[in-house]
Amino acid sequence: MLKISNLHVHFDLDGTIVKALCGVTLGVNLKETLVVAGESGSGKTVTALAVTRLLPAAARVTSGEIYFNGKNLLLLEEDALRKVRGKEIAYIFQEPGSFLNPVYMVGDQIMESFLLHQGLPRVEAFAETLRLLELVKIKDSRRVFFNYPHQLSGGMNQRVGIAMSLACRPKLLIADEPTTALDVTTETQILDLLCELKSSFGFSLLFITHNLSIARRIADRICVMYKGQVVEEADAERIFCSPQHFHTKELIHAYQTIGTQ
Amino acid sequence: MNKLLLVGIAIIGFLSAAAILAPFISPYEPSLIDSASLLMPPSYAHPLGTDGLGRDLLSRIIYGARISLGIGIIAVGISLCIGVIAGSVAGYFGGLADSIIMRSADIMLCFPTFFLILATVAVLEPSIINIMVIIGLTSWMGIARLIRSEILSLREREFIQAAKAIGASHYGIICRHLLPNALGPVFVNATLGIAGAILLESALSFLGLGVQPPVPSWGNILIESKATLGVAWWITLFPGLAIFVTILGFNFIAEGLRKHWGYNA
Amino acid sequence: MLTYIARRLAGSIPIILGITMISFAIIHLVPGKPTSAESALNPKVSLQVRERIEKLYGLDKPIHVQYLEWTRRLLKLDFGRSFSDGRPVIEKITERLPVTVGINVLSMFFIFIVAIPLGVKSARSSGSWFDTSATFFVFLFFAAPTFWVALLLMQLFCITLGWLPISGITSLDFEYFTFSQKVIDIVRHLALPVFVSCITGLAAVSRYMRTSMREALQQPYIYTARAKGLPERTVLYKHAFRNAILPIITILGLSIPGLIGGSVIFESIFALPGIGRLFYEAVMMRDYPLIMAEVVLGALLTMAGNLIADIGYAYVDPRIRYAKKVS
Repeated sequence: MLKISNLHVHFDLDGTIVKALCGVTLGVNLKETLVVAGESGSGKTVTALAVTRLLPAAARVTSGEIYFNGKNLLLLEEDALRKVRGKEIAYIFQEPGSFLNPVYMVGDQIMESFLLHQGLPRVEAFAETLRLLELVKIKDSRRVFFNYPHQLSGGMNQRVGIAMSLACRPKLLIADEPTTALDVTTETQILDLLCELKSSFGFSLLFITHNLSIARRIADRICVMYKGQVVEEADAERIFCSPQHFHTKELIHAYQTIGTQ
Repeated sequence: MNKLLLVGIAIIGFLSAAAILAPFISPYEPSLIDSASLLMPPSYAHPLGTDGLGRDLLSRIIYGARISLGIGIIAVGISLCIGVIAGSVAGYFGGLADSIIMRSADIMLCFPTFFLILATVAVLEPSIINIMVIIGLTSWMGIARLIRSEILSLREREFIQAAKAIGASHYGIICRHLLPNALGPVFVNATLGIAGAILLESALSFLGLGVQPPVPSWGNILIESKATLGVAWWITLFPGLAIFVTILGFNFIAEGLRKHWGYNA
Repeated sequence: MLTYIARRLAGSIPIILGITMISFAIIHLVPGKPTSAESALNPKVSLQVRERIEKLYGLDKPIHVQYLEWTRRLLKLDFGRSFSDGRPVIEKITERLPVTVGINVLSMFFIFIVAIPLGVKSARSSGSWFDTSATFFVFLFFAAPTFWVALLLMQLFCITLGWLPISGITSLDFEYFTFSQKVIDIVRHLALPVFVSCITGLAAVSRYMRTSMREALQQPYIYTARAKGLPERTVLYKHAFRNAILPIITILGLSIPGLIGGSVIFESIFALPGIGRLFYEAVMMRDYPLIMAEVVLGALLTMAGNLIADIGYAYVDPRIRYAKKVS
C-alpha cells in the first residue's frame, strides 16, 4: 500500500549539495511490519520524513515517486496532503520529550487531532483522548491529560506520542527509532504495546531502527539501508539466515557481538 | 570574509584615517571663526557649509571624529578591562567571588545608564576623560557576564582539566587556556560596545553635558541645530549622518564577525 | 511557583541595598564634600545651598550614619526638598510621572504590535525579499541616534511641512478646546515623540522575535505538529509562536532602563513635561536631592520591572510553573 520508488533527496547546505538518498525503493504491504535498518546517516529518517513531505526546507526531492493507496504523495496539493498526514499516515518520533510541545498540556496535543481531522466537539474529543490514553496503558489518564511533557517520564511521553499518532486510526504508522531514547525495560514495554496495538488497530508499521535485535523481535520483512540506498530487502528470517550484502552482515555481526556480551 | 564585515571595515577604516589625518585633510582650522561667512550653505569653499560662528562644518566633523571615535574606543577599553577581569574571576573561582561580582553586575544593570552618567556628570565636571571613565564604568556588565558563562562552560572540559593536572597556575590557566577561547563573542560584544559608547557620548554632548565647546564632537555640533532648525538644515544633517554611519559601520563589523565565526545569537 | 517568587523576592533585597549604596556614593564622588563641587557649568554653589545640603545629608556626621539616615528617609519616600524651588522632591516627580509613563506605555504598545508580526514574518520567510529588507531597516533603525532622528523629523513635519506642533504636550489655547479637539491636540503633540521613542525598540524586538521564532521553528515538536496534518497557520501561531514569545517577556523587562534613560533625550528635545526633562533640568541646576531621588527611583523601577518580567515568564512557562522538585 506504500510504494517508494527510486527516491532521490538532496540537501542544500549553504551551497554544498549533499546527496541524502540516491534511489531508494521500498514498499510496505497491508498490515505488515517493515523494519528499515541501517546505521545513522544512512537515510532512514530522511526516507520516513519524505513520505509525507515533512523534510526541512533545505531538502529537495529531485526524483522518484511515493505512492500511497494509489495516490502519488509527491504530486499531491498541500491541502490534500494535510488530510493524509496524521489521518492516514501518522508518525512516532525518537525523542518523546522534545517532540512534544513543552508549553501545551499533553492531552491538548492529542485532542488536536480529533478536533482537526474528525471535527469532534470538545467534550467528545476530551472523552476520546482519555480513552486513547487508557489504550496505551496509561492508568490515571485524567491526571496525565493535564500534565505538561516535562512532568512525565520518557516512557510516558512516548506513550503519549503513540496515543497521539493513533488518534485518527491511521492506515500506516511510521515509527522513527521510537525506543532509542528509552531504557531497556521501557523499550520492551513500548515494543510490546506497539505490537498489541497493531493487531487491535490493524495498521501497517514502518519501523526505523539501527538495532537488529529489535528488528528480529517485530519485523515481518527487513530492509537494510546503507549510504542512502536500500542494499537488501527480504523476509526477516532470510535476512538473519543468509544475509547477502556485506553491510547486512556487519549489522548482524554487531548485534550478535552485543548479544553475547 | 563576508560582505557585511568588509563594508563595516571599510567604513570604520575610512573614518579612522580621517580622524588620524585630521590636521592634513581638513580644509580649515576647526575653531576658526569667520564672521564673514555665518551659516553658509554647502558650497565649493565650505563643502558642508558653516555654523553660526562661521566655522567650517567639514573641518569640525573631521576633528569631531577624533573625539567621538577616541571616546568610544577608550571607554570600551576600560569596560573590557573591568569586564574581563570580573568575568574571569567570577567564572573561574566561583563561590563567594562569583556571587559578589555577579550581584554587583545585577545592581549596575538596574540603573538606567543615561541617568547614572548624567548624575555623575552633575557631580564631577563633564570633561572628556570623565566621560570615557564613566561610560567604561557603567558598561562592563555585559562583557563580564559573557566571559563568565564562556569560562563556566569551558572550565570542566578535558584540556582545562589536563592543564590543572600538570600543575598550571590559576593565572596561567585563565590567560592561556580560558580567555583565548572566550575571545570571539567578547570581540563582537566590544565592537557593539564602541557603537553604544559613541551613541552615548553624542547624546550627552548634544544635551550640553558631554564634550564641551569649543572642542568639536559630533554631539555638540548638533546643539546648534536646535536653534537653527529650519534655517540651516546642513548643521542638523551632516554631524548626525557622521554618527549614523559610524554606528552602522561598527554594527556591520559586529554582525559580520558573528556570521564569520558562526554565532547565531 | 510560590517558592520561585519567594526566592526571586529575597534575591532582590541585596540588589535594593546595592542600588541605595551606589546612589549614595555618587553624591560623595567628589574629593572633599559634595558641597565643594565646583563645575564648569555651575562654578559657584552659593553658601545658602551649601548649608542646605550639609543639613540634608548630615555631612558633619560619620559616613555610615549619613547613609543610614538617608536610607531611613528613603523608606518614607522622603527625598528632601528641591534646591530650585523648595518643593518636596517626591511631589515634583509624581506630577511629572504620568507623561513619561504614558509615552513609554504607548511606544511599548506600538513596538509590540508592529515588531512581533514583523519578526514572525521575517522568520518564516527567512532569506526572502521581505526578510532581507526587514533586516536592512533593522540595521538602519539600530544605528540612528534618536535625538538626530527627532531633529530631522521636526525639521520635516513641524517646519518644512508645518503639519505638527514642534514642542510641548498641549497647545496654548488647550483649555478652550472641546473634548475631541483636546484629544486631537494631544495626539498631534505626541505623534513624533512616541514615534522617536519607538525606533530602537522596534528594531530590537523585531530582531529578537525573528531569532526566537526561527529557533522555535527548528524544534522537533514542529515536526510533530506538521505530521499531525495541522495547517501551517496553526503550526506557526499555535505551536511555534507560543514558545517563541516567551523570551520576549524578558526583553520587555530588560528594556525598561533604556526607556527611562531615553526619555531624558526626547523629552528635552520635544519639551515634554516628564521626569526625563525634570532630571535634565535638575542636572543643569545641580539640584542634588532631585537627582538622587530620580536615580534611586529609576533603578528601583527597573528592578521591579525585571522582577515582574521574571515572574511573568515563570507564570507563562509551564516548565517553571510546574517545576519538578529539584533536590
